[in-house]
Amino acid sequence: MRRFFTILASLRLTVIVFALSIFLIFAGTLAQVHQGIWTVVDAYFRSLIVTIEFQIFVPKSIATIPGGFWFPGGLTLGIIMFVNLIAAHIVRFKFTKKRMGIIITHFGVILLLAGEFVTGIAAREGNMTIVEGESSNYTEDSRSTELAIIDRSGKEDNVVVVVPDTVLEFKSGELKHELLPFSMSIQEWMPNSFILGPEQNQGKRRGIADSGSANIYAAQPTAVVSGVEGSTVDYPSMYVSFTKNNETIGTYLLSAYLEKPQAVFVDGKTYWVELRFARSYKPYTVHLIDFKHDLFTGTQTARNYSSLVQLLDTERNVDREVLISMNNPLRYAGETFYQASFLQDDSGTVLQVVKNPGWLMPYASCTLITIGMLIQFGTRLISTLRKSAS
Amino acid sequence: MNKLHSLAPWLVLVFGILYVTQHTLSPPENTTGFEVSTFQSIPVSAHGRTKPVGTVALNNLMMLSGKQTLLVNNRKMSATEWYLELLTNTDVSVAREIFRIDHPNVLSLLGLSEENRTRFSYKEIVDNLTEIGEQAQLASRVKAKDRDPFQNAVLTLYQRLSLFRDLSYLMAPYVIPPSDIGGDWRSFNVSVIETPSDPYVLTWINMLQLYNQGNVELFNDALFQYSTDLNKLFPAEMQKARIEVVFNHAQPFYKSMVLYVIAFLLGCFGMLSTQLSRASLSNTLLKSMTSLIVVAFVVQTIGLIGRMYLQGRPPVTNLYSSAVFIGWFCVLIGLLVDKRMKLGFAGTVASALGFGSLVIAHNLGGSGDTMEMMQAVLDSNFWLATHVVVITIGYSATFFAGLLGTAYVLLGVFTKLLDKEHGKSLIKMIYGVICFAALMSFVGTVLGGIWADQSWGRFWGWDAKENGAAMIVLMTLLILHARWCGMIRDRGIVVLAISCNIITAWSWFGTNMLGVGLHSYGFTESAVFWLLLYVVSQLLLMGVGMLPSSMWRSGLKK
Repeated sequence: MRRFFTILASLRLTVIVFALSIFLIFAGTLAQVHQGIWTVVDAYFRSLIVTIEFQIFVPKSIATIPGGFWFPGGLTLGIIMFVNLIAAHIVRFKFTKKRMGIIITHFGVILLLAGEFVTGIAAREGNMTIVEGESSNYTEDSRSTELAIIDRSGKEDNVVVVVPDTVLEFKSGELKHELLPFSMSIQEWMPNSFILGPEQNQGKRRGIADSGSANIYAAQPTAVVSGVEGSTVDYPSMYVSFTKNNETIGTYLLSAYLEKPQAVFVDGKTYWVELRFARSYKPYTVHLIDFKHDLFTGTQTARNYSSLVQLLDTERNVDREVLISMNNPLRYAGETFYQASFLQDDSGTVLQVVKNPGWLMPYASCTLITIGMLIQFGTRLISTLRKSAS
Repeated sequence: MNKLHSLAPWLVLVFGILYVTQHTLSPPENTTGFEVSTFQSIPVSAHGRTKPVGTVALNNLMMLSGKQTLLVNNRKMSATEWYLELLTNTDVSVAREIFRIDHPNVLSLLGLSEENRTRFSYKEIVDNLTEIGEQAQLASRVKAKDRDPFQNAVLTLYQRLSLFRDLSYLMAPYVIPPSDIGGDWRSFNVSVIETPSDPYVLTWINMLQLYNQGNVELFNDALFQYSTDLNKLFPAEMQKARIEVVFNHAQPFYKSMVLYVIAFLLGCFGMLSTQLSRASLSNTLLKSMTSLIVVAFVVQTIGLIGRMYLQGRPPVTNLYSSAVFIGWFCVLIGLLVDKRMKLGFAGTVASALGFGSLVIAHNLGGSGDTMEMMQAVLDSNFWLATHVVVITIGYSATFFAGLLGTAYVLLGVFTKLLDKEHGKSLIKMIYGVICFAALMSFVGTVLGGIWADQSWGRFWGWDAKENGAAMIVLMTLLILHARWCGMIRDRGIVVLAISCNIITAWSWFGTNMLGVGLHSYGFTESAVFWLLLYVVSQLLLMGVGMLPSSMWRSGLKK
């Protein structure tokens, strides 16, 4: 037991974890060439174990190599580093002036690891798209989608039933909900797709759909995208059949690409259905007064993007104008609004809304680590200089 | 003889200063009588930046032909003269052989395979313009990273042709000054239609006509008048433009590159003569090396300050300037270390790094303006000054440690120079530099995280460049921890320090070559080859460093 603890606290273990981490990060960088960044982050850096494919080390144009090998994931390495550090300080803890720097640095590292952990489990990101002159009170998460069935027949509020894509992806049987008089079954799910218009569609596969937009459009599956840029987003599509009492109402093509919901008529009532990016509604409203996109003279290079918005929150009695621009975000109600993108022809803005309860932790930890390292290396440097001077 | 030994370093210093100042203070005269040197200081606006005509001419000539001047009838034709000719004398300018074409398939496409040269005129290409256009369109449909060399070559040629057209029709740069202070610069061929009686438009038409007619006197008068007018209305722009012309002439980075390579050779010979136990000669050589490095360093510093003034930005704004800055900082570390331990290692290593980084910069800046405007998200002097500078210092320090390691291995294995004392102080140097590198890389990476958090709410996004920086931090920390627990000793530090070179090169360049992520700027195809070569060379060095100590000529014993 004691021996195990010594190993757990040993510097050798630290070195080994560092070496493994360097390799993991390297592999996780190469993997981004072929896989979407969020797929990679989940598979490599937030997992216990990862299968690293041999292929990532060799371009496909040179050779195709099947297979891969197991490797500890980021979560595993992070936990070992964390335990190693704490164990080391328990075993060897001595509070002397000489060790001050190291203790401060390591405390910072613990905070840093904890911060990334908190971010990993608690951070939420979403986009808020607002057309100039209009308002929005929800964000969309471009990394996940949801099937929404909306009943607008109510006098005041709409009734909305939402099915997240984590269910849609794997659901092979029937989908039912007590508020809906019909059931649904998913015929085909495409994690990423593009839509063929009526022209491109001719003579090609019309899909299995027979109702709604499917009369005009067809979807074709495509590979999941790579890269971290906001513009490269997966657009899932699905073919879904609606049935009531074993009687088919129709098979629809729903896609994150299609902007408008489609109507499904059941018992003389209209239900609007759409596959959309997962929404989360906010207790406040953001109204876009003006979006600006300045260019450098005679070029297409952007000088600045900025959104002038009106922030309305009746609960908190807030009604004020805010200018959000690159490098100048708005922090409000535990969330931060960044200028992320814009709509075609500069007709509107896309704000990134991030909620990260751990956002201050890196700041604190980095300050500590920097101070700690300065003390550690500084005192060493001074003593070396003194020695060589004498 | 002794006198010569003590004088030599000073003579070398004087030589260095003479070399640097040559042509800088008195630019070469031209014989045509036209005030070309005044014309090249006239500010215009291109790629969003106000810059002198001279810079525009130089960049575009470089872009088209890869050369800074042309040779016409055994006389050097400056870029500005070429540009004036392009604007005024189409018949001649389309016959100038300025388009550099290397790819054999592109040449055969143009029916020029038989020609035994690499530069061709617009006239020779123009007949096949449609074909080039079609090929370029085909190539442009392929993703940039999937294009083959032919597709790249044909696209490049197509872009050069349209650049040539834009230039000759004066679509770019924007030469007409703003009509009111604070307004935008305007394009000539739009203004000539919209505001044909604008005085500036008339001035330009007049100047170009006079130049075309060969009317030296009236051209110079008109130019002088225009320059005086601009001086009254836009004194700041005029001042900057004049300084930029001087900067272009002085070529501070090129000149310091040359001096570094001489210093490096002096350092090598200096250390060699130590081995031949010619102490006084070695001393002289090493001192001369130091004085050359000092001159080169001062010139490079002036160059960096010049860039900062002209751009109004911190020193590192793109891959090109990061190379210049890395070299500069390495030399700074080298000079400081060299002053403390007069062994010549640090100086030699510093001059090698100064030279190497400037060669890289020279290749990166080969085409186009190295002071381009920043994308919106990068438009923040605060973060450029902190994150980018600190991380670049981190890169410099790791490279410096790596090259000290290289010196240790080479001197230890192949010479008898590395005795116990020298070896010990080299290790100390490496250790200290790695501590510094760990600190700087860490702080730089963190500052990058904070910038990312400020601009898009994500402290860490696992982006390729971020990952590269994290790898450097982890590697330096790995060395320190391995040393502390006794897993590695002197040779271990040395070999791992060399491995830092690989990781840093990966982080600095390799991550840009993947074509993914936020930092994938400045990619060049030939860079992949050089990076691979570099990695292989470093692996070889590490292998040599791990040879059993009996095979080390220095007979390094524990």
